[in-house]
Amino acid sequence: MYIELHSRSAFSFLEGASLPETLIAACANLNMPAMALLDRDGVYGSPRFHLAAKKTGLKAHIGAEVTCGLLTPVILSKSSSRSREEDESNDPYPRHYATRVGIPRSARNDKNETFRLPLLVSSRLGYQNLCRLITKMKLQAAKGEGAVHETELPEHAAGLICLTGGDDGPVALALKNGGIAEARSCVERLIEIFGHSNIYVELQRHFHREQEVRNRAAVEIARSLQLPLLATNGVCYANPDERELCDVFTAIRNHRTLATAGRLLARNSERYLKPPQEMQALFADLPEAIANTVELSSRLEFTLKDLGYKFPKYPVPEGQTMMSFLRERTREGFQQRYGRAAADLKDRARRQIERELKLIEKLELAGYFLIVWDLVRFCREEKILVQGRGSAANSAVCYSLGITAVDAVGMELLFERFLSEERGEWPDIDLDLPSGDQRERVIQYLYKRYGERGAAMTANVITYRSRMAGREMGKALGFDPETLDKVSAAVSTWEYRDQNDTFDHRFRDAGLDLTHPRLRKYFELCVAVQDLPRHLGQHSGGMVICQGQLDSVVPLEPASMPGRVVAQWDKEDCADLGIIKVDLLGLGMMAVLEDSLHLIEDHYKEEVELAHLPSDDSAVYSALQQADTIGMFQVESRAQMSCLPRLRPQRFYDIVVEVAIIRPGPIVGQMVNPYLQRRQGREPVTYPHPSLEPVLKRTLGVPLFQEQLLRIAMVAANFSGGEAEELRRAMGFKRSQARMKEIETKLRAGMTQNGISQDAQEQIILSITSFALYGFPESHAASFALIAYASAYLKCHYLAAFTAALLNNQPMGFYRPATIVKDAQRHGLKVLPIDVMKSEWNCTLEEVALRLGLRYARGLREEAGQALVRQRNLAPFTSIRDLVHRVPELRKDELNTLAEIGALNSVSSSGSPGSSKNQMQIPRFARNDNVVRDVTKNSKPETGNLKLHRRDALWQVERAVRHSGPLLDALPEPDTKSPLHPMNAEERLVADFRGTGMTVGPHPMAYHRPRMTAIGVRKASDLGRIRNGQRLRIGGCVIARQRPGTAKGFVFLSLEDETGVANAIINPDLFQKNRLLVSSEQFLMVEGILQNQDNVISVKAERVQSLSITRAPTASHDFY
Amino acid sequence: MINSSMPFACIFVPDFPVEALLRAEPELRSRLLVVLEGKAPLQKVFAANENARHAGVDPGMTKIQVEACAELVLRARSLSQETAAHAALLDCAQSFSPRVEDTACDTIILDLTGMELLFGPLPKLARDLARRASDLGLQVNVAVASNPDAAVLAARGFSGVTVIREGNETEQLGSLPVETLFVEQNPEESEPLLETFNRWGIHKLRDLAALPDAALSERLGQQGVYWQKLARGAVSRTLVPVEPPLIFEEAIELEDPVFLLEPLAFLLARMLEQLCARLESRALATQELRLQLELNNGWHEDGIPWSDVGAGILTRAQARQHFQRTLRLPVPLLDAKTFLKLLQLDLKAHPPGAPIAKIHLAAEPVRPRAAQNGLFLPPSPEPEKLELTLARIAGIVGEDKVGSLQLLDTHRPEGFRMQRFTPGEPQQKSDSIQKSEDLVTALRIFRPPAAVTVTMQDGKPAFLSCHRRKEIRGEILWAAGPWRSSGDWWEQEGWAQDEWDIAVQGENNIALYRLVRDLLSGKWLLEGEYD
Repeated sequence: MYIELHSRSAFSFLEGASLPETLIAACANLNMPAMALLDRDGVYGSPRFHLAAKKTGLKAHIGAEVTCGLLTPVILSKSSSRSREEDESNDPYPRHYATRVGIPRSARNDKNETFRLPLLVSSRLGYQNLCRLITKMKLQAAKGEGAVHETELPEHAAGLICLTGGDDGPVALALKNGGIAEARSCVERLIEIFGHSNIYVELQRHFHREQEVRNRAAVEIARSLQLPLLATNGVCYANPDERELCDVFTAIRNHRTLATAGRLLARNSERYLKPPQEMQALFADLPEAIANTVELSSRLEFTLKDLGYKFPKYPVPEGQTMMSFLRERTREGFQQRYGRAAADLKDRARRQIERELKLIEKLELAGYFLIVWDLVRFCREEKILVQGRGSAANSAVCYSLGITAVDAVGMELLFERFLSEERGEWPDIDLDLPSGDQRERVIQYLYKRYGERGAAMTANVITYRSRMAGREMGKALGFDPETLDKVSAAVSTWEYRDQNDTFDHRFRDAGLDLTHPRLRKYFELCVAVQDLPRHLGQHSGGMVICQGQLDSVVPLEPASMPGRVVAQWDKEDCADLGIIKVDLLGLGMMAVLEDSLHLIEDHYKEEVELAHLPSDDSAVYSALQQADTIGMFQVESRAQMSCLPRLRPQRFYDIVVEVAIIRPGPIVGQMVNPYLQRRQGREPVTYPHPSLEPVLKRTLGVPLFQEQLLRIAMVAANFSGGEAEELRRAMGFKRSQARMKEIETKLRAGMTQNGISQDAQEQIILSITSFALYGFPESHAASFALIAYASAYLKCHYLAAFTAALLNNQPMGFYRPATIVKDAQRHGLKVLPIDVMKSEWNCTLEEVALRLGLRYARGLREEAGQALVRQRNLAPFTSIRDLVHRVPELRKDELNTLAEIGALNSVSSSGSPGSSKNQMQIPRFARNDNVVRDVTKNSKPETGNLKLHRRDALWQVERAVRHSGPLLDALPEPDTKSPLHPMNAEERLVADFRGTGMTVGPHPMAYHRPRMTAIGVRKASDLGRIRNGQRLRIGGCVIARQRPGTAKGFVFLSLEDETGVANAIINPDLFQKNRLLVSSEQFLMVEGILQNQDNVISVKAERVQSLSITRAPTASHDFY
Repeated sequence: MINSSMPFACIFVPDFPVEALLRAEPELRSRLLVVLEGKAPLQKVFAANENARHAGVDPGMTKIQVEACAELVLRARSLSQETAAHAALLDCAQSFSPRVEDTACDTIILDLTGMELLFGPLPKLARDLARRASDLGLQVNVAVASNPDAAVLAARGFSGVTVIREGNETEQLGSLPVETLFVEQNPEESEPLLETFNRWGIHKLRDLAALPDAALSERLGQQGVYWQKLARGAVSRTLVPVEPPLIFEEAIELEDPVFLLEPLAFLLARMLEQLCARLESRALATQELRLQLELNNGWHEDGIPWSDVGAGILTRAQARQHFQRTLRLPVPLLDAKTFLKLLQLDLKAHPPGAPIAKIHLAAEPVRPRAAQNGLFLPPSPEPEKLELTLARIAGIVGEDKVGSLQLLDTHRPEGFRMQRFTPGEPQQKSDSIQKSEDLVTALRIFRPPAAVTVTMQDGKPAFLSCHRRKEIRGEILWAAGPWRSSGDWWEQEGWAQDEWDIAVQGENNIALYRLVRDLLSGKWLLEGEYD
């Protein structure tokens, strides 16, 4: 019997080549009852190691290789000094000359002044010590660096067992530096720190001569100090062939190529998980080294099951318990939320809240709810928009506490989806916050409140995906940068892949020959490295809290952002180990809403409260019904737009359905069409079984939400709430066939008991299995629908403010700013170009228009833009020279961009009033569907009374940035006309798109309309008037390309012209024939058959052709 | 009428790398020819002729991308052919004017002052130049102008023969794109300027020429004014004529072919003396001698290593009739006797293998070495003697087996390469040399390793016999190992082996050996013996 007690996984980041699960699987195959994982300076892989071991019934020992600075020798007793002299006389590793002549250690020229100390955890105390030790080391050094100092070891030694290490361990280093005497001294020092019974002298045999010499010395030391020997294999991968990946990692780590890495690479492939028999044979001469692995394994009692995590307590006033405090807060909230509700609802709500509070008390979760409540309260006080989402919206307590905005009782949401006794899992509360600074303030509040060691962001393990894999493997193989670009571009993918989309084809497309052995090896490496961890990042919003003791649960590391720490585990690991987390998610739309409200208050002098928006606004529903939704939250995508005219939302719940229905679940489960058919009255509403009518009534007999499936299981098959939630998890991403079968049997048994027919049973099981994974929870959809409604309301009634806010929070959503601006212009909003005399950093509102902000000048740094605004506010610029002199932060390229986009045109027409500081109250923009304004009137790039044109400005800039010497510098000089020709329309378009990514002038297509009409290209706005089935041509700028995974290879194009957006559908054959055209051309003409089904209009393409419109670099949003 | 006081001509070869190849294979001119550069599998298009460009081939595409087009003719870039083409271009120019500027590999400028008297009026001269170049296998553009740079611009911008009249430069060059100005410029310098011109809407030389001088100077400084002058065709500069190259070559054409080395040595001695005299007169020495023998028909292929085909001006077909040897010396020498001895030794080791019809001997001139070494440098053997000794050894053991050893950074056993032995260099201390304390005993390596038959027992070698060395045979008393190593798995020549240190019971004593098993082929080899 042999147990491997020293192994690294890929979570040693570039030092191991197998995932923890792979190691466990290999361990199970070899019938090893246990195994220890010692990743480098962390326990990154231990949760996955632990869970995988739990599943296979193995014992997962935890530990780490900790980087340490050199040990100082122990003060020698007489006996040991004598034995040292004896040693030296016949020492195969004689002491280094430096030691003999007394050169101080620090002055010696050793490359490796650190070593790796392998530590195994024997008890919970040991685990806590290990976590604290690593945290201490990590937090006192820069990211990825640092070493434990010797003095820090003794206080953290309890509960840890120390091995003497392999090639990079303390004994090997001591032998190299000072021979056997120093090695013995090192081991004595370790004994002093960890205690005699907690040191094992480690032996590894990888068939190296030098290693065998070391082993002899180690055996000698062990014998003389009466220490046990321990055989390990210093495992770095599960199988011998993974050595190749390990070599590649070594090359990457050392910034070399494989060819130049030389002896940094492994000598052979022996560091795999070896079968016990092989290890026994290897150590046949030292059987005790093998036997000791079993003995040591039995001493290691700790597993991650005994993590000892306790949720922090929330401080409550004296005389109160957390529970009583929570009850009080809930009661207060209840009055607010349900105070004016109907008696029946009020009554139901009270009962539900009581039920929930009881469960919360039972599960001792009051502290958690109070902490989240406290966060929400902080946000309210600081006027930060906040809304809970996810399953928390199923809770009436959360609604009462103000955490969520969805009335769980009123909407009859399923509480068990959020919290259940059976599940033994903490609830999950996600808070949506405005992205950016506001969210950061909330995060900092948490740190401040719970201390540096009390709160941490969860990690985000960055794993190798095709692009990074392609790049790094190529680098290691020594490909030149140009080839690297080619191959990494070759591995970018559409979401949908057809049979031609193999790697082979991609390589060929990139001009690379896979039959060449080196490229073949490259390809193999790219495949092998997929999903292996590369480094640790930080999750954008997940936080774990443990009131001052988090570092004894999981090691913490500094994040790249100052003032932040990151735990070594990611979200799933934390959830798996029962650590409660709060997700503080930055939602771009929340920031848009918040900014819109401020703009409305400032410019319209109106105060709009999101909580009190009218729920039946006709403009909102009319816009939704016509799919006029560009910029609106969750309902703006092409797929949503093609559903809206059929669903025709008429009330809030319809928006909830709309948000949930365009998801892979309902699409794959083929629920969309039946639901829409029934809604339009073209199909009767039926139920699989009469008992399910209450569950499915709201969705016309078609299950659309996760909760409905759980309820079906509860009603039809007598599942308890917790069992139903179990079912949802069983359908999760890693479905186990056995578990599915088990649940199916249980479902069938329940349904048979309830007298449900066989046919109905089949139907129910089919819908559950095809749907449970991808379905949207109703509570989540409801939370999103609230935001969607608010965004629609603001767009319909405060278009200018909403558009400005939307533009100020890019990138977000489905469309690029150019499309958002064009859409707003079509709705009657006047958009003015960037003007250094008027623009702020952000987009602002002027009297009758929206003024683009300096942020849209490409390449302009915020620091320079803000400096410009500051100076202008002091006094307007009198000339370009004046601007250049007063804003030295502006670089030449930034000035050139500003000149090129016309932002300097008005500089010399000084004294222009109306900087955004002295705005008048302006009328809001009512939505006007029929206004498709003549594009030429919409805006003039070089407008009004300005004297300069863009090239004049460019001409002046070039002079102004050039130092003409002190004599001429003092001379004032007016801006004059230049000898350059003004830009023509095409040149302005190119400059606009190059410099701002958009144009506020006419749409590029507008310039070519006569030509388009001549070749029979119809306007997007005309399509609604053309009968179904007619052959026609459409043309425009491609603003979005999609090849969804659910669409069987069809490609959807959105083509924008000056009147709106037209949709085209490209079938897979046509796509294959015109692959390059469809995926890269900026302007396309599509010929085909018009399809108009319930006002959902698209053109089924039969021919695609490129259109020569402009050289301007327009961009599309491509979903690959 | 052209003012012929200072006329200049420019010869420009469009698609120079293509043209260089077409000289050897003119029949490809009408085809779609693509020149590739780089090592397999990452070859890329370096240049293409006009036909190929029309078919969509662009520089930078990979070989596999262009291979899709079946009509293309692919050729690897040949630097030697480019050198030869360039030399031919220079020859062409020098045959018209003694003052020739070697502007770029594809561009040559000639000062035609006074040449009209010799060759006729300038338009005719320009046509003659183009024709002469065509005779040398190069299709060129020729332009004549009153200053060198205007001639260059016109030659690069207009195809065929162009004559720019004096005073008419601005107008005639005006239609060229501004990019023409920057063809030979460093992109880091030219790109920002081009970017500025582009922003200003300046696309043609005419637009640049029309800008007001002072205003332009305020914006782009003197550099801007220079480019503008250039665009106006108004830059006057002096030509930088090329020096006649230092060529030291001697040749003897023999009426009767020479069969034996002895009479050849006699002839060589004479030539060497002449060469040395010429070198001496210029205070030069040589470090390289190139001997080229034209053989009389009976040449056979094994005689010439392909790598020895010198500067590569010769095609393979031509090389078949030539025999060439190059002697490279570690230090500059000028001693005809030493040279002769070295040549004799070399020819003895590499006989030409056929009667010799023509002898061509060239010396590469270099500055002679300082007579005295540094005072504190250790004494080293006289270079002449050392070189002779090394040549003698190489004659016996082979050239690749003489030199000094350089260890490579690899786990691969015997990972070393031979470097040319140069005296006087300090011995490099390398980490790769094992520390003396790690060494237990010395290993005498067998070269080549001896193939042995090994019987295994319990996974260890138990009995050994060697066919070649009968004395190595016996029971293996003791074996340590295996010491396993493998590597270069990403190359086609990956390797993996096990080493054993063994003690074999011989007839009289016990011997210690290093035994190796190649894990890929399964062969056993005895690599050496421990002292």
